[in-house]
Amino acid sequence: MREGIVILEGIAKDFYDGRIIRRVLKKLDLAIHAGELTIIAGPSGSGKTTLLSIMGLILQPSEGKIFIGDKEVSRYSENDLATVRMRHFGFVFQLAELIPALSVIENIIIAQALQGSRVSSSLRDRAHSLLSGFGLEDYVNGKPQQLSSGQKQRVAIARALINDPLLLLCDEPTSALDAESSTIVLDTLKRISKESERGVIMVTHDPRVFPYADRLIKIEDGAVGYDSKTDATEGMHL
Amino acid sequence: MRRLTAFKMLLHDRSTTAGSLLGVIAIVFLVGQQLSVLFGLFTYMSVLVDHSGADIWICSKNTENVNATGSIPVRYVDRISGLSGVEWVEPIVFGSGTFRRTDGQFQVVQVVGVRPPRFTLGPWNFHEGSLDVLFDYDGITVDRLDLNILGNPGLHQLYEINNKRVRINGITQSIRGFGGTLVFTNMVKAKEITNFAAGRCSALLVKLTPGTEVPRMIERLQSVLPLTEVISSSELSYKTRSYYIRNTGIGGSFGFSTLVGALVGIVIIMLTMYTGVLHRQKDFAVLRALGARKRDILIIVLYQSLMIGIAGIFIGFLLLAFFLNGTHGSRLPSYMPRIVPLYHALGTLLLCLLGSLLAMRKAIKVDPASVFR
Repeated sequence: MREGIVILEGIAKDFYDGRIIRRVLKKLDLAIHAGELTIIAGPSGSGKTTLLSIMGLILQPSEGKIFIGDKEVSRYSENDLATVRMRHFGFVFQLAELIPALSVIENIIIAQALQGSRVSSSLRDRAHSLLSGFGLEDYVNGKPQQLSSGQKQRVAIARALINDPLLLLCDEPTSALDAESSTIVLDTLKRISKESERGVIMVTHDPRVFPYADRLIKIEDGAVGYDSKTDATEGMHL
Repeated sequence: MRRLTAFKMLLHDRSTTAGSLLGVIAIVFLVGQQLSVLFGLFTYMSVLVDHSGADIWICSKNTENVNATGSIPVRYVDRISGLSGVEWVEPIVFGSGTFRRTDGQFQVVQVVGVRPPRFTLGPWNFHEGSLDVLFDYDGITVDRLDLNILGNPGLHQLYEINNKRVRINGITQSIRGFGGTLVFTNMVKAKEITNFAAGRCSALLVKLTPGTEVPRMIERLQSVLPLTEVISSSELSYKTRSYYIRNTGIGGSFGFSTLVGALVGIVIIMLTMYTGVLHRQKDFAVLRALGARKRDILIIVLYQSLMIGIAGIFIGFLLLAFFLNGTHGSRLPSYMPRIVPLYHALGTLLLCLLGSLLAMRKAIKVDPASVFR
């Protein structure tokens, strides 16, 4: 019996640039647990974003296995992986990445209607309730362009939560935000990790974020250089 | 939601959507206009056959074109008019002449001589007068569209064709032949004008009694008159059109311009839709990362292509209708058979989908991992 929401076993990733093969992740083992805000840190080029992409089933590893609970998903087809992402994962990107053509509520709903399923009234109600929870009820039918960066990021978090995911994967969600907005977003993510026993992973290189972590992982040259659950602030000097 | 997303993306990217729409409108209008002129010319080519009211034509041997017949004996009328299944047989005379204008200039005309009292293949669609005007020995009819080219002759005034006296007793509306100005007169006058051999005619028109089978009667008539060409009206109409398409370069010319119209449209659609996908690459990458499969992205682009296609077809046909209405009754040949717009619309939709293939290919190749970079 494996413990964790997502378990990586011996994950390696190679990139081929046309001349040489470069190994970005080197046989990495990792388990992500529910109820924790896990921060993955590391310098540029260390492989943290590649690791996030593999954990999010967006990038296929060159070697190793990925488990969601007890189920191995590393051999799933591209379509099946897309369905797993839609059902079990939530994503928050660096720049929110809302679809400018859609309204705020449509940006949230679409995350569950991507594969052509009908939009139920309960899904719409849930989207409304998430927006209300983030104080964005006045912008339901507005366009993303009308929102501030912080508001956009909160909409992105609402979008990531619409499917009640097992795991929230966040890629530097505060890097484009001012201090006040960053605090709101980080508090929100921290709260989310404690609700519903959900895992939250955040990739960042900003040490100011580290105090929010329940677990801090440092990636160095494609391998785990530091992994601490007890005292996250130790990693502040990274 | 995919359909709504496709629609909203189109509304959001107004400039690229407008460009793609322009491509579809260009296909519908340019190709439609070329087709309407081509079909207009078709009606000119076979106008005499199509308005004859006969089931069968009997012409000189190996006739391929109704406007270039030889001559056959008029007495054949008596040989076949008594056959069972034949309702009537009428001889007609075709020939050319030069109309002398009041200013002294000449205009080549095509003379059609019809026999009273039935006046089969006589003029129709009268603006002034009626078929009875051909009972006058000198009586002719000309078309309203040709009045200018004939020097604006007056009604009931005397003129000359091939130095023979004629009187314009009637004016028709929009009867044009491929060979130019059509002049209808009675058979005797036509023979006088064209100096047609006595006892001969250009063709015999045969009307069958109801229930008589055309192919069987053609066989029978051919056995009775082996030195002639016995042909159904529909086949003669088709052969006449084919003759002009093959021998005048009209087919190649219109085919080429239609192809160019379609190509211009498809290139515009291809470039604008491709540009649209390039602009939306990030959005597609986000959707893929969130859980959209390649086929979901494909469906979004396909919906967009269909929406642009349907909207463009609607606007294009609206413009085409304005054009056809505007040119109706003018010297510009334009005619659109009822079935053609349906095929034209389906063809355009197909071209629209073809034009978006490149965009689809680009859209499904978007890497979802790119949202993390």
